[in-house]
Amino acid sequence: MKSRRLAVILAGMILVSGITGSIRMLRANSPSNASVAPAVEKAAAVTAKIDRFWASQWQAQKIQPGARAADAEWLRRIYLDLIGRIPSVFEARQFLEDARKDKRQRLIEQLLHEPRHVVHFTNVWREAWLPETNANQNNQALRASFEAWLQSQIRKNVPYDQMVRTLITFRAPAGNARQVGELIPVPDGATPQAFYQANENKPENLAGTTARIFLGVKLECAQCHNHPTADWKKEQFWEYAAFFAGPPQGGVPAKIRIPSTDKSVEARFLDGSTPQPKDMNNPRSTLADWMTAPANKYFARAAVNRLWSYFFGTGLMEPVDSLSDDGDHKELLDELARDFAEHGFDIQFLIRAIVNSGVYQLSSVAGQSKPEAEAHFARMAVRGLSPEQLFDSLVEATRYREPLPPNQRRGARTLSARAEFLAQFTNQHEKRTEIQTSILQALALMNGKFTADATSLIHSETLAAVIDAPFMDSAGRVQTLFLATLSRLPDAGEKARLVQYVDRGGPSGSSRQALADIFWALLNSSEFFLNR
Amino acid sequence: MARNHRISRRDWCRLTTAGVVGYSMSGWLESLAADTVGNPNRRRSCILLWMNGGPSQMDTFDLKPGHANGGPFREIATSVPGIHISEHLPKIASMMNHMVLVRSMSTREGDHGRATYFLRTGYLPQGPIQYPPVGALVAKELGNDDAALPNFVSIAPNRGVSPAAHGPGFLGPPYAPLIVGEAPGKPNAGGANGYEQALKVRNVEPFGFWNRAHAAARMELLEEMEKKFLEQRPGVASQSHRTAYDRAVRLMRTAAAKAFNLDDEPDTLRDAYGRNLFGQGCLLARRLVEQGVPFVEITMGGANNEAFGWDTHQQNFEAVKRLSSVLDPAWAALMGDLQARGLLDSTLIVWMGEFGRTPRINGDTGRDHYPNAWTTVLAGGGLKGGQIIGRTSPNGMSVEDRPVPVPDLLATVCMAVGIDPMKQNQSNVGRPIRIVDKAAQPIKEILA
Repeated sequence: MKSRRLAVILAGMILVSGITGSIRMLRANSPSNASVAPAVEKAAAVTAKIDRFWASQWQAQKIQPGARAADAEWLRRIYLDLIGRIPSVFEARQFLEDARKDKRQRLIEQLLHEPRHVVHFTNVWREAWLPETNANQNNQALRASFEAWLQSQIRKNVPYDQMVRTLITFRAPAGNARQVGELIPVPDGATPQAFYQANENKPENLAGTTARIFLGVKLECAQCHNHPTADWKKEQFWEYAAFFAGPPQGGVPAKIRIPSTDKSVEARFLDGSTPQPKDMNNPRSTLADWMTAPANKYFARAAVNRLWSYFFGTGLMEPVDSLSDDGDHKELLDELARDFAEHGFDIQFLIRAIVNSGVYQLSSVAGQSKPEAEAHFARMAVRGLSPEQLFDSLVEATRYREPLPPNQRRGARTLSARAEFLAQFTNQHEKRTEIQTSILQALALMNGKFTADATSLIHSETLAAVIDAPFMDSAGRVQTLFLATLSRLPDAGEKARLVQYVDRGGPSGSSRQALADIFWALLNSSEFFLNR
Repeated sequence: MARNHRISRRDWCRLTTAGVVGYSMSGWLESLAADTVGNPNRRRSCILLWMNGGPSQMDTFDLKPGHANGGPFREIATSVPGIHISEHLPKIASMMNHMVLVRSMSTREGDHGRATYFLRTGYLPQGPIQYPPVGALVAKELGNDDAALPNFVSIAPNRGVSPAAHGPGFLGPPYAPLIVGEAPGKPNAGGANGYEQALKVRNVEPFGFWNRAHAAARMELLEEMEKKFLEQRPGVASQSHRTAYDRAVRLMRTAAAKAFNLDDEPDTLRDAYGRNLFGQGCLLARRLVEQGVPFVEITMGGANNEAFGWDTHQQNFEAVKRLSSVLDPAWAALMGDLQARGLLDSTLIVWMGEFGRTPRINGDTGRDHYPNAWTTVLAGGGLKGGQIIGRTSPNGMSVEDRPVPVPDLLATVCMAVGIDPMKQNQSNVGRPIRIVDKAAQPIKEILA
């Protein structure tokens, strides 16, 4: 049986992955152990801290944590979370058959060094920092420009505090206030100007947005009146907005007039402290200093919480853009915030610490767990995918090739297949764990041209490879389809039922068509659509 | 899927006649009960004609012909003595007896995004609360959960202006609108002839040729696969996926999706509505209402489907004349068509945008945003038509009589379709939120 397995593996390698498969095989051996070991070790201490915290929490709450995720379950999850697509058949087989004890850790390192990791996390940060560009098609030029800047930062693993500093202190050229509906010229070079354009260069917008995303403080309500539910007063909002008020006046404190009143306020930090007058030559630089200082209790916490929320679907504190001083998991959040700051705000370090933890490796199967288990992360939540993750996974599973080159003209409104798909699958404000599928999305997945091509006997590469492989039997073909879509092997019941379906040829009497039917069902399944 | 435990209309009738009143806190229960008990089978619907960009009241329904602000348009008489409207809306003018002009709308919101949100939801955007638009609210109250067609259909919306005001808000995915006529990347489906394809539900037929038996076999395969996943991983995300697929399949399998097939209609009728996206959209709305969809909205972006057709900062008069030439036949045809089918009394039509336009004409022969004094129109729905509510000053700059705040307007809409505006729904922040703000007073003089 071993030689047969070898033959099947070879067939998989050659037929389904082509050249890219062998390149990946090479890369799998590449990050030299010597260079990553120290980084991994540093993160390991934090990982241990995380797991110790949860162990004691669960004991205190009398919660039985769920089982560790099986290899296949974890594999799909880590690929989606780190590089934004599912693994290929080859990658899946390789991992599942790897016998090494530390294979999960090795895979994490490999994925962190993939170019796709940069692209994926560009999407992640853009979604968080520039949500206006998610749903609104008019903002595509902004999106492209901002992503260019983000990519340049992430590629070099620029520390988080420096990224935010660059953003906050960026000086946008004057005269860029946006008219509604007007197409914005894409600035040359990678700058975060798009952030300012999206906020219409208005101090009040910049204040609300920066407080929310970088400090975890939702100030917007206080723009017009004292905040109804928190302690923020209207003055405080405008005192913070004063930092964004305009070109520095050289030595004079930055001031802003509260609209509809005669009152002007001077710039003041959110914790009530006032900036030194000598520093106010460049108010935004002073603001950036205050934000990223180790003593700042908002900054690191907000960052850690957001990243946690990305990997688990829920933050250690909710809502992520409105953190409080208290909460069940405050201890861990504060600890991690301290560690993050102490390690120079290294994002990769934090990612490593989180995804190597035992709590991240828990299964999402409900089993016997009580509903509260999820609130204490004793069970991994099922999360939705971003539109990019979904599309790229569909492309990976089906080996789809875009038929026409996408229109590259600036501001052009005609869309490539990818962009059209993304537009259909953009969700508005939801949390990943509460992602909603609409009827139109379901129809698109079931009946759309994309799916039809992908599952057509003529147009689909994956399907062709599976069907044409000469030394695979029906079981092998079904297994390959499962690996291509769900990154796992079918269980005994599934295998038996589906092999029978194939051998009988389904309603059309053709085994080839039956395989196409199975492929279609797999691509439309919840398991494909979600990150489990 | 967890069902909301709400009283069905039949149960409600039973309870009210048995004297078990007091289910809601409003004082209007008796009148609602009487209406429902009198006509237990009467299903009400609402059609919203959403004028994206802020239509100019000075050049449509509240002209000031003698004044410097008046502009070149003349007034014409309508079927109701004493009511005059723009000369470019002649067909509507002949149906004024079914209509109510609310000339005293007044808000403080002059920004497209905020004003759109305000008019559509009745609340200003406030922190984390995701207020649902009136379409979702009506869909929840009047809709049938088991219907094949969704209870809220949105035709050619321009969601970009305020995406939150075009979703279901905190009511969740069952009340999300089914959207047609919106091409991705383009605010409204392109071109005068683009509407044919745009108004169909995309992908309701499997791509390419499939026989029914084969399609059914595929669905069975899928359902088998889903069972185990749902068992092992229950939760909102999984449930929502299944719900969407179930509803999509229902749409595919029943005759309901045929409602979107405008080819069934005679050419003369289609011509009367106007061969453009808005006109054919109105025709589609009539068909959907006939099939029992409780809320349909049609957005009028512009005569040639630009994003902000009514946002006439420049060349206001040419633009409004062009827009009126599309609006007038479509709206009149819609009302006439509903009337011919005996549906006008049970279908409320709401015409509004997010604000009005400045009485003073600007340097570009245009009018700018003006929320201070503007007009909305209600029609059909069994209202006491042929009335004007409120009055603006001779120069059009302010409301002189009977101002109507937005919640009042929406409360009136609720009452007209048989919903209690004070009813509460559970929001996404744990607070119950009324359909309409509790200070709202409906315009009683127009309600039957």
